[in-house]
Amino acid sequence: MSLDLTTLTTPQGHAAARSLRVKDDHLARVLAGEEFLLFDGAMGTQLQERGLAAGDIPELLCLTNPAEITEIHAAYVAAGSEVVTTNTFGANAAKLGDAATVQEIFSAAIECARASGARYVAADIGPTGALLQPMGTLSFEDAYALFAEQVEAADASGADLFIIETMADLAEAKAALLAVKEHSDLPAFVTMTFDEDGRTFLGTTPEVAAATLSALGADVVGINCSLGPADVAPLISRMLPWAHCPVMAQANAGLPHVHDGKTVYTITPEDYCEAVVSMLDAGVTVIGGCCGTSPAFIAGERTLLEGRLPVPRTFSDSFCVTSAQQLVALAPGEVGVIGERINPTGKKRLKEALRSGNHDYVMSEAINQTNAGAQILDVNAGLPEIDEKATLVRLVAELSGVTTLPLQIDSADPEAIEAAVRSYSGKALINSCNGKREVMESVLPIAKHYGCALVALTLDEEGIPATAEGRLAVAKKIVAETDALGIPRADVVVDCLTMAASTDQTQPRQIVRAIRLVKEELPGVRTVLGVSNVSFGLPYRELVNATFLTACFGAGLDLAIVNPLAQRYRDAYASWRALSGEDESAQDYIANYAGMKDGGPKPGTVAASQAVAQGATDDEPTTVEGRIRSLVLSGRKEAVPDQVRAILSDGDASHDVMYVINDVLIPALDEVGERFERGSFFLPQLMASAEAAKAGFTVLREEASSSDVPSKGKIALATVKGDIHDIGKNIVRMLLENYGYDVIDLGRDVDPQAFADVVVEHHVKLAGLSALMTTTVPAMAETIQLLHVQAPWCKVIVGGAVLNPEYAEMVGADYYAKDAAESARIAGEVLG
Amino acid sequence: MTRMVESLEVTTLDRSEVLRYLGYHGQEVTPEIEARLGDAMASCLSLARPRACLRSFACGTRTSRNDGTPELPLLGCALVLEGKSIAEHLEGAVEVGVMAVTIGAGVERELRRLSLTDPLGQILLDAAATAAIERAADAAEALLVADAAARGLYTNWRFSPGYGDLPLACQPTLLAALDATRRLGITLTPSLLMVPTKSVTAVLGYFPEPHPGTRPGCKECNLRDYCSIRASGTTCQSL
Repeated sequence: MSLDLTTLTTPQGHAAARSLRVKDDHLARVLAGEEFLLFDGAMGTQLQERGLAAGDIPELLCLTNPAEITEIHAAYVAAGSEVVTTNTFGANAAKLGDAATVQEIFSAAIECARASGARYVAADIGPTGALLQPMGTLSFEDAYALFAEQVEAADASGADLFIIETMADLAEAKAALLAVKEHSDLPAFVTMTFDEDGRTFLGTTPEVAAATLSALGADVVGINCSLGPADVAPLISRMLPWAHCPVMAQANAGLPHVHDGKTVYTITPEDYCEAVVSMLDAGVTVIGGCCGTSPAFIAGERTLLEGRLPVPRTFSDSFCVTSAQQLVALAPGEVGVIGERINPTGKKRLKEALRSGNHDYVMSEAINQTNAGAQILDVNAGLPEIDEKATLVRLVAELSGVTTLPLQIDSADPEAIEAAVRSYSGKALINSCNGKREVMESVLPIAKHYGCALVALTLDEEGIPATAEGRLAVAKKIVAETDALGIPRADVVVDCLTMAASTDQTQPRQIVRAIRLVKEELPGVRTVLGVSNVSFGLPYRELVNATFLTACFGAGLDLAIVNPLAQRYRDAYASWRALSGEDESAQDYIANYAGMKDGGPKPGTVAASQAVAQGATDDEPTTVEGRIRSLVLSGRKEAVPDQVRAILSDGDASHDVMYVINDVLIPALDEVGERFERGSFFLPQLMASAEAAKAGFTVLREEASSSDVPSKGKIALATVKGDIHDIGKNIVRMLLENYGYDVIDLGRDVDPQAFADVVVEHHVKLAGLSALMTTTVPAMAETIQLLHVQAPWCKVIVGGAVLNPEYAEMVGADYYAKDAAESARIAGEVLG
Repeated sequence: MTRMVESLEVTTLDRSEVLRYLGYHGQEVTPEIEARLGDAMASCLSLARPRACLRSFACGTRTSRNDGTPELPLLGCALVLEGKSIAEHLEGAVEVGVMAVTIGAGVERELRRLSLTDPLGQILLDAAATAAIERAADAAEALLVADAAARGLYTNWRFSPGYGDLPLACQPTLLAALDATRRLGITLTPSLLMVPTKSVTAVLGYFPEPHPGTRPGCKECNLRDYCSIRASGTTCQSL
């Protein structure tokens, strides 16, 4: 009973696999990598030569001077171009504004291109011109909507294929490619532009671009613009093994120069073609030109292709996942570690962080696991009382900002999985699918549609099979479906599921054997295992886990889901890599373990107490309270936790949590605030003190149950719509949190209604708004007006470079705070 | 012939300037803060990729709109400079040098990372990055000064959209005229703020005669480290 592949759709209703509308056999063979295809050269520089003013909107010429546009296309066709690219690079609704509609431009542009007599017309889609979140303010779905409008216009006007080009942001390229896949059945060619350092402006490498976009379903991927062809060639070579589709190159004619007020390029057609030959020899099959190239360059390339056949290519057989900045690959036989810490099951502090929406702790877990050597991070937001989908999406976005490691999206809810992988900037690993028909029907289409790798659990409607053979049978059932859907074997990672040895001592052997069987019987697939359940009920669990992990590595396990900070795992992983030969000549092992013996210090650890001792020497106060005050005032956070623990557990003199907050930490913070107001402290000192106090609060939260640390009230903070300067707001947030307030930080560029909604939902009594630019003050006024109507109980503090008391009154605020310390004082006045 | 995209050299940052951006006026700089400041400055220098796009355009005929707002069109360029302040700044200019400068997305990404993990680190890096973009803008401006000097023209100083009554609304056309989104990765938000945030756009005038009171002496000149004119035995005020 296999799945009906023709009707499989994702939870959001996107078809898992699409059938392409390919204009003719030649194009079909091009897409199969069997024939060459020649694009055209530059449009922009041709228009400038004809007198287009710098900064004018070139797309409007399709409406005003169609004959001239057709003339440029026709010159390329005469030179040998099979494809001409429409003059629509910036023709999106955001850039065109009121000048013309997207449909008008695409209709006219495609007509201009068609009139040139070209064999194929490629609808050109360039970047939106705005940067996507989190660095910019454009949301993934808004970018997608801009692209979708272009795709529908081009498809309706009769384009033959799409060329998405000059992308610097992987997320934006992904939004555009999804727009093509979901709004058209025409082929999609996607190229990104790289800098001299071999990365896009946003840090994406050629390998990441190739692996991510080809997995996502690009029909051709490649590089355009960027540099001259000699500099593009090595970058293309890096793309080729990771692109499971034809690869294209459209380089510039060198770097642009300005001569007599005109932009000129330095490379001749002859030199250009010489460099293109090396790319053809490496396996490129689609060529053309970008900025500065002209029909002469295309004619040269036409000659190159005469009598030439595409060279056979070799592809990487590694398992791979990506973030926007990093490709993590495991060649067959290599082992990797997935960090398991971001999963609330059994973790009190993580649960608290997810419930409160304050994700600082989650971020610190990500950083710690990254530093400990994890290669992939698992992300799970499965708590019954929170909106898992929204939380998962937000966590994935935030984690992408603090780590470059690829993420494993871990959820039992297919809708949450789809929402998270859709906007994820990279190729994610989905955790998980299993052999239940219903689960396969919902999760497999997501993996296929979004080009993700996939964990497949060996359980089905009958539960977890007791034997290795039973687990293999489930794995085979799932892999039959992934094969049929065209999901590459290397993207399927089978989890043979760990059971506790204490409940069934036959299980560990069965699991080890199941791993071996899966690797033998299903060549190409990978295996993964969360090992720690095996030791349930036994003492010294770390030892048992590490032993089991080593046995599994020996059986062919590829990926271990573990706590990468646990030393036993690190030892097992490092020593296995030395034994298996993956760590060549055991270099890593020797570097980290030389001189060690049982009972000695742990590898790579410096006694943290040394640093503490150094920090606390001069004029040591005699009481613990005095020492904490001194540490907070001098901003030395390292030593604070020990002192706070001391005061809580100091025999007869021990104090409760409230004492430490109200009689020790808050008075110290007050003193910091006073010094800052007086000018004897400057900003970094204020912040360092706040960090030191925060280190104390962190201990209090760990030591106490949450009921012991009462909230002093909720405060909502935001930088207003249109403004992206959030430093001031972040400083205020840090200080307010340390005073014990629950701060709901909505971030920057926050929509007035979205802010009001949160204030109403949480019945927030105090709101803080920040604006740095004069131009964004009206958005502040609008937000306050909404609050007055919808949340009349809420007082508002405003601050920011352009504000003053008069301005604050004008926009309707209750308070003006000139700095963070004053915000804290006002909060005390309003909330106590 | 000049390159359209110039890589700029910013190899050092002025510690006292970074401190000034942090609101420093003589307080104690503890060893802890001194160390963190040093780390932030080093991190900024290693992450920054200071680069600029530069062009110059001849001035068209100065006109004014119905409401009296002066307008200066540029020849071969869609950019029209509006407002009294820029009209005064460019009075008598025959050409206008246009520049876009950024230290790149690497610093921006690190600032976002720190905003989620390390607020003190964020303010220190932000201050260092502000110093870095100002240095980069000095370096870019020096290239325009040299470009003018090579043609016997004198310059005043850079003037950015948002100063005086020169509207931010000219940013899209200014960036498009330099192809700065494609060449440098500078993008605009709907409210016309640049991302990466540590980016500068500006124009300055090229004049046939030395412009009175425009530039301080070489000793006080911010562009001193990037000046290519002095090496030839002259100054930008006495060509």
